[in-house]
Amino acid sequence: MLLKLKVNGEHYSIDVDPSKRLLDVIREDLKLTGTKEGCSEGECGACTVIMNGKAINSCMLLAVQARESEIITVEGLEKDGELSELQKAFIEKGAVQCGFCTPGMLMSSKALLMKNPDPSDDEIKIAMEGNLCRCTGYVKIEEAVKEAIKNNKIKER
Amino acid sequence: MNNIIVKTPSNIRELVDCLKCADEDTHLISGGTDFVIEMRNNPLFNGLIVDIKGVKELNYIKVEDDLIKIGANATFTEISENCTVKKYARALSEAASNIGSTQIRNVATLAGNLANCAPAADSIPALIALGAEVKIINGEGKIVTVEVEKTLKVLKKDEAIIEVIVPLRKTYISAFSKVGSRSRVTIAKLNIAVCVNCNEKIQDVVIAVGSLGPIAHRLERCEQVLLHEEPSRELLRKFKESLASEVVLEIPGRASLPYKREAIVGLCEDAFYMLFPKIRGDKVE
Repeated sequence: MLLKLKVNGEHYSIDVDPSKRLLDVIREDLKLTGTKEGCSEGECGACTVIMNGKAINSCMLLAVQARESEIITVEGLEKDGELSELQKAFIEKGAVQCGFCTPGMLMSSKALLMKNPDPSDDEIKIAMEGNLCRCTGYVKIEEAVKEAIKNNKIKER
Repeated sequence: MNNIIVKTPSNIRELVDCLKCADEDTHLISGGTDFVIEMRNNPLFNGLIVDIKGVKELNYIKVEDDLIKIGANATFTEISENCTVKKYARALSEAASNIGSTQIRNVATLAGNLANCAPAADSIPALIALGAEVKIINGEGKIVTVEVEKTLKVLKKDEAIIEVIVPLRKTYISAFSKVGSRSRVTIAKLNIAVCVNCNEKIQDVVIAVGSLGPIAHRLERCEQVLLHEEPSRELLRKFKESLASEVVLEIPGRASLPYKREAIVGLCEDAFYMLFPKIRGDKVE
């Protein structure tokens, strides 16, 4: 069936197999392989993308459920060749080790900051609770999110 | 390639048209989070998927005639952020905010949790304790309203939940507690919801439990322990005892029995202190 959606600001019209998940379309049809497949059952959050302003697991959604929606993947974070504040902070704070969870971590924190640019520590933890990291640990990731919040504020001044 | 057809009704009339021709190979989804995982484990090659998310008129949480009405497309994020639900149906608010992760709550719906009816579904004990009802429409367009417990595992292929109705009872208070392998984002190993109406003494009480047997259900013997009693530490002790012995009665010989017999005592204490914080010595305004 024909699927129309917007991904990272670009309009797409794709003929998709109805049994395909949004994750499959993003990776296989759109070749946006930044979004990862981890557990395939909503535990790890590696496949997190932002749909209509909200973080979702793209492995738990049929592609057709994303019809007419606006998706942001990790590839949509950089602007004109410059990384976003979140991406820069992840690098600076050493929040990336093997990197497999990173796109999901970035998208969950991006969705949080889109909704609330100045979240509390608890709000950060709740927003990230659906993302597992098996090497870096969570302290540096949380520090990176806080660093990005700080730098966003400086930029706005 | 497969022969799967997807229909996307955009109003109730179109939904009824889809239900009219529903058969064994028809699958209704709203958030679809459980369905997509199931479909990966047992791939579909033919059949009809009806995605009701496009029925915008089912996307609401509103109060009418002392009833909180939750449309079938309301997500757990919307339910957990709703102030009325938080104030008058705390068990549901707590259950909704503890289901899955942020990503899952942004998509999954209360109606879907009920229709899928997993043994560990968190929302169901909360809805039973709160005395909720469910509005169902069928392929003939006929609408019926039934108690939550009577809808569990019995929905027909040509039936769709369109609304969940929770009575708004200002003197009642409720609580929900669960335990699982992760502190959050976890599938409950055990969950419990309690709703009481209490002045000096407990005048009305409903207790419901999930993950103890195949379907969430009431624990009427334990309700009798609380009924007409004054909340106290002694009553909490009796309540714990009654719950632990209920576990022994309900799942005799099961490998999880020794764990659940102990775990329910902790959940019971959580719920009791949520309802009666003064008993723990908390200062209450």
